[in-house]
Amino acid sequence: MKSLKYIAFIILTALAASCDKANQSTTPNSSGGFDNNPGTGQGGSLARFTIAQKHLYVVDDMKLHAYSLDNPSTPRLTSTQLIGEDIETIYSYKDKLFIGSQNAMYVYSISDAGHPDKLGTASHVRACDPVVANDSVAYVTVRSGNSCGGTLNAMFVYDVTSVLNPKERNVINLETPWGLGMAGNRLFVCQGSNGLAVYDISNRYYPSLRQRFYDDTYYDVIPYNDLLICMVKGGMLLYELKSDGQILKLAKISG
Amino acid sequence: MKKRILSVRWAVLPLLLLLTACDPFRNNPRPEPEPSPDEVEGYAPVYSSAEDAAKITSTDVRPIEKGGKIYVKGNMLYQVEVGKGIHVININDGANPQKLSFIHVTGAQEMSIMDNYLYTNHMNDLVVLNIADVNNIQLVDRVSGMFHLVDPNLPPAAGWFECIDESKGVVVGWELKTLYKPVCRKN
Repeated sequence: MKSLKYIAFIILTALAASCDKANQSTTPNSSGGFDNNPGTGQGGSLARFTIAQKHLYVVDDMKLHAYSLDNPSTPRLTSTQLIGEDIETIYSYKDKLFIGSQNAMYVYSISDAGHPDKLGTASHVRACDPVVANDSVAYVTVRSGNSCGGTLNAMFVYDVTSVLNPKERNVINLETPWGLGMAGNRLFVCQGSNGLAVYDISNRYYPSLRQRFYDDTYYDVIPYNDLLICMVKGGMLLYELKSDGQILKLAKISG
Repeated sequence: MKKRILSVRWAVLPLLLLLTACDPFRNNPRPEPEPSPDEVEGYAPVYSSAEDAAKITSTDVRPIEKGGKIYVKGNMLYQVEVGKGIHVININDGANPQKLSFIHVTGAQEMSIMDNYLYTNHMNDLVVLNIADVNNIQLVDRVSGMFHLVDPNLPPAAGWFECIDESKGVVVGWELKTLYKPVCRKN
């Protein structure tokens, strides 16, 4: 139970990041990027590269490398530091970095962008656990597997109104959850070979299943303006995100 | 004379020991600590030739075979071809996406973009590509040996994996897939 709370905490941090991205994705600036980080685009939830505060941050399996992009054609290494073991992902949100490993989340301040400074660590159950969230709710999928460890396959819903005290509000059992994404009152949950599930999250703590697609093997999603971009086995699927919340398949990019 | 015979014997003994240790006929395999599962999710090596591994260039569009991480900026969508490079796709018309080019970068797993510059990994080097013309990308900078992103010997996570077959080339990455009766295991 305690570990779940830790997960929730992690989530909130991650969510803050993804929520900000989602909000901003509706208002791209003239350069095609976003106000927070002009000139950049948007990656999936499992990225090891991220750009923030005119710096490129890279995590490999143990270290965080920071490069100044003051001159974007010639990145200049400003620092390298040891983080921990089995590092998998990095998120940025405003002046913070959230670094995910298989059993912990590390939070770094980038107030001094070239020299990230450790703020804290939250331990969690050993598993693959992508997250999305906004100011009030966080959704975390926990998937067990040979390379991830753990035995859970579920989506946890947390009330993160109080960031320091997230509360578990709901647990939905899923077969094989992978990446997820949120746009407006819709939540998209990739479920590997078990397809894609679309939830209505008007009641944010009680997602209600609205659409289910079994046509492909889904791994990750990026909601981007009026598009939903899905990473699927062997390529990508593009969906139109309609104003009524339905998604409509536009094209498959494969082969 | 007697002394000489003794010394020959002493030389032969360790040789015999060596032979048994090598087990050249593979008729005495070491027992696995855990039986190999019939079917399991695990990593398999991605191969490339040595010549191919060195160059970074735009090439003609090619099929997506082992699609990896995705990235979007404006009307352009990118998907890593695990260990091989990056597909560049115009999605201005979402119903009719058009592949524009393929950026050949061996070992590629990750990417990010700032302005006209694409950052990716060429095995364990950070490389900067000017992508103003996606059909004629230019390598503009390289920071060598910075990361530990690609391990040519072991997969990125513990567990069962598909053993490396050196006859297939050099290992430039790892992909997750369903393995059947895998033999190799990273602890």
